[in-house]
Amino acid sequence: MINWIIGSWAVLEKDLRLEMRSRYALNMLLMFVLSSLLLMALAIGQNPISEHMQIALLWVVIMFSAAIGLGRSFVAEEERGTVLLLQLNVPGTQVFAGKLVFNFLLLLAVDGLSLTVFSLLLNMQIFNLPLLITALVLGSLGVAGATTLLAAIIARATNRGPLLPVLLFPMLIPLLLSVVFASRQALAGGFGWIGAQTELVTMGAFAGVVITAAFLLFEYVWTD
Amino acid sequence: MMSHASVNLKKYHLIRNLVFGWVTIVLLAGFLLDIPKINILEHTARNLYFHVPMWFTMMAAAFVSGYHSFKVLQTGDPVRDIRALQAARIGTFFGILGLLTGIIWSKFTWYIGTDVWWNFDPRQIMVTFQLLIYGAYFVLRSTFDDPMKRARISAAYNLFAMSAIPFLLYVIPRQMESLHPGAEGNPAFSEITHPIMRMVFYPAIIGFIGLFWVLYTQRVRVALMKYRITQDSEL
Repeated sequence: MINWIIGSWAVLEKDLRLEMRSRYALNMLLMFVLSSLLLMALAIGQNPISEHMQIALLWVVIMFSAAIGLGRSFVAEEERGTVLLLQLNVPGTQVFAGKLVFNFLLLLAVDGLSLTVFSLLLNMQIFNLPLLITALVLGSLGVAGATTLLAAIIARATNRGPLLPVLLFPMLIPLLLSVVFASRQALAGGFGWIGAQTELVTMGAFAGVVITAAFLLFEYVWTD
Repeated sequence: MMSHASVNLKKYHLIRNLVFGWVTIVLLAGFLLDIPKINILEHTARNLYFHVPMWFTMMAAAFVSGYHSFKVLQTGDPVRDIRALQAARIGTFFGILGLLTGIIWSKFTWYIGTDVWWNFDPRQIMVTFQLLIYGAYFVLRSTFDDPMKRARISAAYNLFAMSAIPFLLYVIPRQMESLHPGAEGNPAFSEITHPIMRMVFYPAIIGFIGLFWVLYTQRVRVALMKYRITQDSEL
Protein backbone atom coordinates (compact mmCIF):
# COMPACT_ATOMS: atom_id res chain seq x y z
CA MET A 1 0.00 0.00 0.00
CA ILE A 2 2.76 2.41 0.95
CA ASN A 3 4.64 1.45 -2.18
CA TRP A 4 1.59 2.29 -4.21
CA ILE A 5 1.33 5.74 -2.67
CA ILE A 6 5.05 6.33 -3.09
CA GLY A 7 4.87 5.31 -6.74
CA SER A 8 1.86 7.53 -7.47
CA TRP A 9 3.48 10.40 -5.66
CA ALA A 10 6.63 9.92 -7.75
CA VAL A 11 4.63 10.19 -10.98
CA LEU A 12 2.83 13.25 -9.67
CA GLU A 13 6.04 14.89 -8.53
CA LYS A 14 7.67 14.25 -11.90
CA ASP A 15 4.79 15.90 -13.73
CA LEU A 16 4.67 18.83 -11.34
CA ARG A 17 8.38 19.39 -11.59
CA LEU A 18 8.36 19.31 -15.38
CA GLU A 19 5.43 21.66 -15.37
CA MET A 20 7.03 24.12 -13.00
CA ARG A 21 10.16 24.23 -15.13
CA SER A 22 8.50 25.54 -18.24
CA ARG A 23 4.94 26.21 -17.07
CA TYR A 24 4.02 25.66 -20.68
CA ALA A 25 0.76 23.78 -20.25
CA LEU A 26 -0.32 25.80 -17.24
CA ASN A 27 0.19 29.16 -18.90
CA MET A 28 -1.48 28.11 -22.09
CA LEU A 29 -4.46 26.74 -20.18
CA LEU A 30 -4.89 29.81 -18.04
CA MET A 31 -4.61 32.08 -21.07
CA PHE A 32 -7.23 29.99 -22.80
CA VAL A 33 -9.56 30.31 -19.82
CA LEU A 34 -9.01 34.05 -19.67
CA SER A 35 -9.63 34.60 -23.37
CA SER A 36 -12.80 32.52 -23.48
CA LEU A 37 -14.18 34.19 -20.38
CA LEU A 38 -13.49 37.57 -21.91
CA LEU A 39 -15.04 36.49 -25.17
CA MET A 40 -18.20 35.42 -23.39
CA ALA A 41 -18.38 38.51 -21.24
CA LEU A 42 -18.03 40.77 -24.27
CA ALA A 43 -20.63 38.80 -26.17
CA ILE A 44 -23.06 39.13 -23.27
CA GLY A 45 -22.38 42.82 -22.86
CA GLN A 46 -23.93 45.05 -20.26
CA ASN A 47 -27.22 43.23 -19.99
CA PRO A 48 -27.58 41.29 -16.76
CA ILE A 49 -28.14 37.59 -17.27
CA SER A 50 -30.00 35.18 -15.04
CA GLU A 51 -28.27 32.92 -12.52
CA HIS A 52 -29.06 29.94 -14.76
CA MET A 53 -27.08 31.47 -17.59
CA GLN A 54 -24.18 32.55 -15.40
CA ILE A 55 -23.61 29.06 -14.02
CA ALA A 56 -24.20 27.46 -17.39
CA LEU A 57 -21.58 29.63 -19.08
CA LEU A 58 -19.12 29.15 -16.24
CA TRP A 59 -19.35 25.40 -16.51
CA VAL A 60 -19.18 25.43 -20.29
CA VAL A 61 -15.88 27.30 -20.06
CA ILE A 62 -14.58 24.85 -17.46
CA MET A 63 -15.56 21.85 -19.61
CA PHE A 64 -13.92 23.24 -22.72
CA SER A 65 -10.79 24.14 -20.80
CA ALA A 66 -10.63 20.62 -19.41
CA ALA A 67 -11.02 19.14 -22.87
CA ILE A 68 -8.32 21.32 -24.35
CA GLY A 69 -5.85 21.61 -21.51
CA LEU A 70 -5.87 18.25 -19.76
CA GLY A 71 -5.30 16.16 -22.84
CA ARG A 72 -1.61 16.87 -22.78
CA SER A 73 -0.86 14.65 -19.82
CA PHE A 74 -0.33 11.52 -21.90
CA VAL A 75 0.35 13.05 -25.28
CA ALA A 76 3.40 14.78 -23.81
CA GLU A 77 4.77 11.40 -22.75
CA GLU A 78 4.41 10.12 -26.27
CA GLU A 79 6.08 13.19 -27.70
CA ARG A 80 9.01 13.03 -25.30
CA GLY A 81 9.40 9.31 -25.85
CA THR A 82 9.20 8.50 -22.17
CA VAL A 83 6.24 6.13 -22.38
CA LEU A 84 8.33 2.98 -22.30
CA LEU A 85 10.37 4.27 -19.38
CA LEU A 86 7.21 4.94 -17.43
CA GLN A 87 5.72 1.57 -18.30
CA LEU A 88 8.83 -0.22 -17.11
CA ASN A 89 9.28 1.62 -13.87
CA VAL A 90 5.81 2.18 -12.51
CA PRO A 91 2.76 -0.13 -12.46
CA GLY A 92 -0.26 1.11 -14.40
CA THR A 93 -2.54 2.09 -11.55
CA GLN A 94 0.15 4.26 -9.99
CA VAL A 95 0.71 6.06 -13.28
CA PHE A 96 -3.00 6.71 -13.52
CA ALA A 97 -3.27 7.90 -9.93
CA GLY A 98 -0.37 10.33 -10.34
CA LYS A 99 -1.74 11.74 -13.59
CA LEU A 100 -5.23 11.96 -12.13
CA VAL A 101 -4.08 14.10 -9.21
CA PHE A 102 -2.03 16.25 -11.57
CA ASN A 103 -5.02 16.85 -13.82
CA PHE A 104 -7.21 17.52 -10.81
CA LEU A 105 -4.80 20.21 -9.57
CA LEU A 106 -4.68 21.78 -13.04
CA LEU A 107 -8.46 21.80 -13.13
CA LEU A 108 -8.64 23.40 -9.69
CA ALA A 109 -6.42 26.19 -11.02
CA VAL A 110 -8.81 26.57 -13.96
CA ASP A 111 -11.78 26.64 -11.58
CA GLY A 112 -10.23 29.28 -9.37
CA LEU A 113 -9.39 31.54 -12.27
CA SER A 114 -12.76 31.12 -13.98
CA LEU A 115 -14.75 31.72 -10.83
CA THR A 116 -12.79 34.84 -9.89
CA VAL A 117 -12.77 36.44 -13.30
CA PHE A 118 -16.32 35.47 -14.19
CA SER A 119 -17.80 36.70 -10.93
CA LEU A 120 -16.05 40.03 -11.44
CA LEU A 121 -16.97 40.41 -15.10
CA LEU A 122 -20.60 39.41 -14.72
CA ASN A 123 -21.14 40.82 -11.26
CA MET A 124 -22.29 37.51 -9.85
CA GLN A 125 -24.05 37.69 -6.50
CA ILE A 126 -22.66 34.72 -4.60
CA PHE A 127 -24.60 34.11 -1.42
CA ASN A 128 -22.90 30.92 -0.38
CA LEU A 129 -19.28 30.76 -1.44
CA PRO A 130 -18.35 27.52 0.40
CA LEU A 131 -21.18 25.73 -1.38
CA LEU A 132 -20.06 27.01 -4.75
CA ILE A 133 -16.49 25.99 -4.09
CA THR A 134 -17.59 22.52 -2.93
CA ALA A 135 -19.66 22.08 -6.08
CA LEU A 136 -16.74 23.15 -8.25
CA VAL A 137 -14.31 20.83 -6.48
CA LEU A 138 -16.60 17.79 -6.62
CA GLY A 139 -17.46 18.45 -10.22
CA SER A 140 -13.80 18.86 -11.12
CA LEU A 141 -13.03 15.51 -9.53
CA GLY A 142 -15.44 13.79 -11.90
CA VAL A 143 -14.22 15.76 -14.90
CA ALA A 144 -10.58 15.02 -14.06
CA GLY A 145 -11.31 11.30 -13.68
CA ALA A 146 -13.02 11.04 -17.05
CA THR A 147 -10.51 13.27 -18.82
CA THR A 148 -7.44 11.41 -17.59
CA LEU A 149 -8.57 8.05 -18.94
CA LEU A 150 -9.72 9.60 -22.21
CA ALA A 151 -6.37 11.41 -22.51
CA ALA A 152 -4.67 8.02 -22.26
CA ILE A 153 -7.03 6.71 -24.96
CA ILE A 154 -6.36 9.51 -27.42
CA ALA A 155 -2.61 9.40 -26.84
CA ARG A 156 -2.70 6.01 -28.57
CA ALA A 157 -4.61 7.30 -31.57
CA THR A 158 -2.68 8.08 -34.69
CA ASN A 159 -4.93 10.73 -36.19
CA ARG A 160 -6.16 13.07 -33.53
CA GLY A 161 -8.22 16.11 -34.18
CA PRO A 162 -10.60 17.55 -31.65
CA LEU A 163 -10.93 14.01 -30.43
CA LEU A 164 -10.88 14.63 -26.70
CA PRO A 165 -13.92 16.94 -26.69
CA VAL A 166 -15.83 14.46 -28.87
CA LEU A 167 -15.15 11.65 -26.43
CA LEU A 168 -15.41 13.68 -23.26
CA PHE A 169 -18.57 15.75 -23.55
CA PRO A 170 -21.07 12.89 -23.88
CA MET A 171 -19.56 11.28 -20.79
CA LEU A 172 -19.98 14.44 -18.78
CA ILE A 173 -23.66 14.96 -19.53
CA PRO A 174 -24.91 13.35 -16.29
CA LEU A 175 -22.36 15.29 -14.30
CA LEU A 176 -23.22 18.58 -15.97
CA LEU A 177 -26.88 18.29 -15.07
CA SER A 178 -26.10 17.83 -11.39
CA VAL A 179 -23.26 20.29 -11.13
CA VAL A 180 -25.12 23.18 -12.74
CA PHE A 181 -28.06 22.65 -10.43
CA ALA A 182 -25.87 22.43 -7.33
CA SER A 183 -23.80 25.51 -8.24
CA ARG A 184 -26.93 27.50 -8.86
CA GLN A 185 -28.09 26.92 -5.30
CA ALA A 186 -25.23 29.13 -4.12
CA LEU A 187 -26.48 32.17 -6.03
CA ALA A 188 -29.54 34.33 -5.62
CA GLY A 189 -32.77 32.39 -5.73
CA GLY A 190 -31.05 29.23 -4.61
CA PHE A 191 -31.69 27.19 -1.52
CA GLY A 192 -28.15 26.78 -0.26
CA TRP A 193 -26.84 23.53 1.16
CA ILE A 194 -30.29 22.01 1.68
CA GLY A 195 -31.26 22.47 -1.93
CA ALA A 196 -28.01 21.13 -3.24
CA GLN A 197 -27.44 18.12 -1.03
CA THR A 198 -28.91 15.48 -3.36
CA GLU A 199 -26.92 16.84 -6.26
CA LEU A 200 -23.70 16.95 -4.25
CA VAL A 201 -24.14 13.30 -3.33
CA THR A 202 -24.80 12.49 -6.99
CA MET A 203 -21.66 14.31 -8.02
CA GLY A 204 -19.62 12.45 -5.43
CA ALA A 205 -21.09 9.18 -6.64
CA PHE A 206 -20.37 10.06 -10.26
CA ALA A 207 -16.75 10.88 -9.44
CA GLY A 208 -16.45 7.60 -7.55
CA VAL A 209 -17.93 5.52 -10.36
CA VAL A 210 -15.92 7.21 -13.09
CA ILE A 211 -12.62 7.00 -11.24
CA THR A 212 -13.19 3.35 -10.34
CA ALA A 213 -14.07 2.45 -13.93
CA ALA A 214 -11.03 4.39 -15.14
CA PHE A 215 -8.71 2.52 -12.77
CA LEU A 216 -10.10 -0.80 -13.97
CA LEU A 217 -9.81 0.07 -17.64
CA PHE A 218 -6.49 1.91 -17.56
CA GLU A 219 -4.34 -1.21 -17.80
CA TYR A 220 -5.97 -2.22 -21.08
CA VAL A 221 -5.43 1.20 -22.58
CA TRP A 222 -1.94 1.75 -21.27
CA THR A 223 -0.20 -1.51 -22.10
CA ASP A 224 0.19 -2.80 -25.63
CA MET B 1 -9.19 -17.73 -35.47
CA MET B 2 -12.38 -19.27 -34.14
CA SER B 3 -14.42 -20.83 -36.89
CA HIS B 4 -17.75 -19.15 -37.33
CA ALA B 5 -18.21 -20.38 -40.87
CA SER B 6 -20.83 -22.96 -40.16
CA VAL B 7 -24.11 -21.22 -39.48
CA ASN B 8 -26.99 -23.60 -39.44
CA LEU B 9 -28.76 -21.99 -42.39
CA LYS B 10 -31.99 -23.90 -41.96
CA LYS B 11 -32.38 -22.84 -38.35
CA TYR B 12 -31.33 -19.32 -39.22
CA HIS B 13 -33.87 -19.01 -42.01
CA LEU B 14 -36.54 -20.42 -39.75
CA ILE B 15 -35.94 -17.85 -37.04
CA ARG B 16 -35.59 -15.06 -39.57
CA ASN B 17 -38.89 -15.88 -41.24
CA LEU B 18 -40.54 -16.20 -37.85
CA VAL B 19 -39.33 -12.74 -36.88
CA PHE B 20 -40.47 -11.20 -40.15
CA GLY B 21 -43.88 -12.80 -39.82
CA TRP B 22 -44.15 -11.67 -36.22
CA VAL B 23 -43.26 -8.07 -36.98
CA THR B 24 -45.69 -8.02 -39.92
CA ILE B 25 -48.50 -9.20 -37.68
CA VAL B 26 -47.55 -6.63 -35.05
CA LEU B 27 -47.60 -3.87 -37.67
CA LEU B 28 -50.98 -4.93 -38.99
CA ALA B 29 -52.44 -5.34 -35.52
CA GLY B 30 -51.02 -2.01 -34.47
CA PHE B 31 -52.90 -0.15 -37.15
CA LEU B 32 -56.00 -2.22 -37.62
CA LEU B 33 -57.07 -3.24 -34.13
CA ASP B 34 -59.25 -1.00 -32.00
CA ILE B 35 -57.71 1.05 -29.25
CA PRO B 36 -59.56 2.59 -26.31
CA LYS B 37 -60.28 6.27 -26.31
CA ILE B 38 -57.53 8.13 -24.50
CA ASN B 39 -57.71 11.87 -23.90
CA ILE B 40 -55.30 13.99 -25.89
CA LEU B 41 -53.56 11.03 -27.47
CA GLU B 42 -56.46 9.43 -29.35
CA HIS B 43 -55.05 7.57 -32.31
CA THR B 44 -51.49 8.75 -31.82
CA ALA B 45 -51.42 6.21 -29.00
CA ARG B 46 -50.64 3.68 -31.71
CA ASN B 47 -47.16 5.19 -31.70
CA LEU B 48 -46.73 3.37 -28.40
CA TYR B 49 -46.23 0.17 -30.34
CA PHE B 50 -43.27 1.67 -32.17
CA HIS B 51 -41.70 4.26 -29.92
CA VAL B 52 -41.22 2.26 -26.72
CA PRO B 53 -39.95 -0.95 -28.40
CA MET B 54 -37.26 1.16 -30.09
CA TRP B 55 -36.04 2.11 -26.64
CA PHE B 56 -36.02 -1.47 -25.41
CA THR B 57 -34.19 -2.56 -28.54
CA MET B 58 -31.54 0.12 -28.14
CA MET B 59 -30.98 -0.97 -24.55
CA ALA B 60 -30.65 -4.57 -25.71
CA ALA B 61 -28.14 -3.44 -28.37
CA ALA B 62 -26.20 -1.53 -25.73
CA PHE B 63 -25.98 -4.62 -23.54
CA VAL B 64 -24.88 -6.82 -26.41
CA SER B 65 -22.26 -4.28 -27.47
CA GLY B 66 -21.01 -3.88 -23.91
CA TYR B 67 -20.80 -7.63 -23.38
CA HIS B 68 -18.76 -8.12 -26.53
CA SER B 69 -16.51 -5.17 -25.66
CA PHE B 70 -15.87 -6.80 -22.30
CA LYS B 71 -14.98 -10.03 -24.06
CA VAL B 72 -12.61 -8.16 -26.38
CA LEU B 73 -10.72 -6.88 -23.37
CA GLN B 74 -10.74 -10.31 -21.80
CA THR B 75 -9.73 -12.42 -24.80
CA GLY B 76 -8.56 -10.05 -27.53
CA ASP B 77 -10.62 -11.93 -30.09
CA PRO B 78 -11.19 -9.78 -33.22
CA VAL B 79 -14.50 -11.49 -33.90
CA ARG B 80 -15.83 -10.11 -30.62
CA ASP B 81 -14.78 -6.67 -31.79
CA ILE B 82 -16.81 -7.14 -34.98
CA ARG B 83 -19.81 -8.12 -32.90
CA ALA B 84 -19.45 -5.14 -30.58
CA LEU B 85 -19.21 -2.73 -33.52
CA GLN B 86 -22.22 -4.12 -35.36
CA ALA B 87 -24.35 -4.11 -32.21
CA ALA B 88 -23.39 -0.46 -31.75
CA ARG B 89 -24.34 0.38 -35.34
CA ILE B 90 -27.74 -1.28 -35.13
CA GLY B 91 -28.30 0.24 -31.70
CA THR B 92 -27.62 3.69 -33.10
CA PHE B 93 -30.10 3.07 -35.88
CA PHE B 94 -32.86 2.04 -33.48
CA GLY B 95 -31.99 4.86 -31.12
CA ILE B 96 -32.37 7.45 -33.87
CA LEU B 97 -35.70 5.93 -34.83
CA GLY B 98 -36.87 6.01 -31.22
CA LEU B 99 -35.82 9.62 -30.85
CA LEU B 100 -37.58 10.66 -34.07
CA THR B 101 -40.81 8.85 -33.22
CA GLY B 102 -40.71 10.40 -29.76
CA ILE B 103 -40.04 13.92 -30.98
CA ILE B 104 -42.83 13.85 -33.53
CA TRP B 105 -45.22 12.36 -31.01
CA SER B 106 -44.38 14.86 -28.30
CA LYS B 107 -44.68 17.88 -30.55
CA PHE B 108 -48.39 17.31 -30.79
CA THR B 109 -49.30 15.71 -27.51
CA TRP B 110 -47.22 17.14 -24.70
CA TYR B 111 -49.05 20.09 -23.19
CA ILE B 112 -46.31 21.78 -21.26
CA GLY B 113 -44.03 23.08 -23.92
CA THR B 114 -46.44 21.98 -26.57
CA ASP B 115 -45.50 22.48 -30.17
CA VAL B 116 -41.79 22.50 -29.40
CA TRP B 117 -39.39 19.98 -30.82
CA TRP B 118 -37.31 19.40 -27.70
CA ASN B 119 -38.59 19.21 -24.15
CA PHE B 120 -35.46 18.51 -22.09
CA ASP B 121 -37.11 15.46 -20.71
CA PRO B 122 -34.73 13.08 -18.88
CA ARG B 123 -35.50 10.19 -21.20
CA GLN B 124 -34.86 12.29 -24.26
CA ILE B 125 -31.54 13.23 -22.74
CA MET B 126 -30.76 9.59 -22.09
CA VAL B 127 -31.30 8.56 -25.68
CA THR B 128 -29.23 11.49 -26.89
CA PHE B 129 -26.49 10.50 -24.48
CA GLN B 130 -26.39 6.96 -25.81
CA LEU B 131 -26.37 8.18 -29.41
CA LEU B 132 -23.53 10.61 -28.66
CA ILE B 133 -21.55 7.83 -27.01
CA TYR B 134 -21.93 5.65 -30.06
CA GLY B 135 -21.05 8.53 -32.36
CA ALA B 136 -17.89 9.10 -30.33
CA TYR B 137 -17.21 5.35 -30.43
CA PHE B 138 -17.37 5.32 -34.24
CA VAL B 139 -15.16 8.41 -34.47
CA LEU B 140 -12.65 6.87 -32.07
CA ARG B 141 -12.46 3.72 -34.17
CA SER B 142 -11.69 5.74 -37.27
CA THR B 143 -8.60 7.31 -35.69
CA PHE B 144 -6.75 4.04 -35.29
CA ASP B 145 -4.84 2.20 -37.98
CA ASP B 146 -3.77 -0.90 -36.10
CA PRO B 147 -6.74 -3.31 -35.76
CA MET B 148 -5.69 -4.82 -32.43
CA LYS B 149 -5.21 -1.43 -30.83
CA ARG B 150 -8.44 -0.23 -32.34
CA ALA B 151 -10.38 -3.16 -30.94
CA ARG B 152 -8.92 -2.90 -27.45
CA ILE B 153 -9.10 0.83 -26.99
CA SER B 154 -12.55 1.32 -28.46
CA ALA B 155 -13.78 -1.54 -26.26
CA ALA B 156 -12.32 0.29 -23.26
CA TYR B 157 -14.15 3.47 -24.28
CA ASN B 158 -17.41 1.61 -24.79
CA LEU B 159 -17.26 0.14 -21.29
CA PHE B 160 -16.12 3.41 -19.74
CA ALA B 161 -19.01 5.30 -21.24
CA MET B 162 -21.46 2.68 -20.05
CA SER B 163 -20.42 3.29 -16.47
CA ALA B 164 -22.30 6.57 -16.63
CA ILE B 165 -25.55 4.97 -17.75
CA PRO B 166 -26.86 4.00 -14.28
CA PHE B 167 -26.77 7.68 -13.43
CA LEU B 168 -28.91 8.61 -16.34
CA LEU B 169 -31.21 5.68 -15.84
CA TYR B 170 -31.93 5.99 -12.15
CA VAL B 171 -30.49 9.07 -10.54
CA ILE B 172 -31.22 11.95 -12.88
CA PRO B 173 -34.85 11.07 -13.66
CA ARG B 174 -35.60 11.11 -9.95
CA GLN B 175 -34.45 14.67 -9.77
CA MET B 176 -35.81 16.18 -12.95
CA GLU B 177 -39.38 16.75 -13.87
CA SER B 178 -40.50 14.60 -16.71
CA LEU B 179 -43.38 14.68 -19.12
CA HIS B 180 -43.13 11.01 -19.91
CA PRO B 181 -45.99 8.85 -18.62
CA GLY B 182 -44.83 6.64 -15.79
CA ALA B 183 -42.26 9.15 -14.52
CA GLU B 184 -42.51 11.56 -11.62
CA GLY B 185 -45.93 13.06 -11.22
CA ASN B 186 -47.53 11.47 -14.23
CA PRO B 187 -49.87 8.51 -14.27
CA ALA B 188 -48.16 5.41 -15.50
CA PHE B 189 -49.02 4.36 -18.96
CA SER B 190 -50.49 1.14 -17.64
CA GLU B 191 -53.02 3.14 -15.66
CA ILE B 192 -54.36 4.88 -18.69
CA THR B 193 -54.10 2.09 -21.23
CA HIS B 194 -56.56 -0.63 -21.72
CA PRO B 195 -55.32 -4.21 -21.45
CA ILE B 196 -56.10 -4.61 -25.10
CA MET B 197 -53.18 -2.36 -25.99
CA ARG B 198 -50.84 -4.59 -24.05
CA MET B 199 -51.82 -7.44 -26.36
CA VAL B 200 -50.01 -5.67 -29.18
CA PHE B 201 -47.46 -3.83 -27.07
CA TYR B 202 -45.62 -6.80 -25.57
CA PRO B 203 -45.43 -8.70 -28.87
CA ALA B 204 -44.16 -5.47 -30.44
CA ILE B 205 -41.24 -5.37 -28.03
CA ILE B 206 -40.41 -9.00 -28.73
CA GLY B 207 -40.80 -8.45 -32.47
CA PHE B 208 -38.49 -5.47 -32.63
CA ILE B 209 -35.84 -7.14 -30.53
CA GLY B 210 -36.13 -10.06 -32.94
CA LEU B 211 -35.69 -7.62 -35.82
CA PHE B 212 -32.57 -6.30 -34.12
CA TRP B 213 -31.28 -9.85 -33.86
CA VAL B 214 -31.85 -10.52 -37.56
CA LEU B 215 -30.17 -7.30 -38.67
CA TYR B 216 -27.32 -7.79 -36.21
CA THR B 217 -26.50 -11.36 -37.21
CA GLN B 218 -26.68 -10.52 -40.89
CA ARG B 219 -24.29 -7.63 -40.50
CA VAL B 220 -21.95 -9.70 -38.36
CA ARG B 221 -21.83 -12.39 -41.00
CA VAL B 222 -21.08 -9.89 -43.76
CA ALA B 223 -18.41 -8.24 -41.61
CA LEU B 224 -16.87 -11.65 -40.89
CA MET B 225 -16.70 -12.44 -44.58
CA LYS B 226 -15.12 -9.07 -45.26
CA TYR B 227 -12.65 -9.67 -42.47
CA ARG B 228 -11.66 -13.03 -43.89
CA ILE B 229 -11.11 -11.63 -47.34
CA THR B 230 -9.54 -8.26 -46.64
CA GLN B 231 -8.41 -8.42 -42.97
CA ASP B 232 -10.38 -5.24 -42.48
CA SER B 233 -13.35 -5.52 -40.19
CA GLU B 234 -14.99 -2.12 -40.50
CA LEU B 235 -18.48 -2.30 -41.89
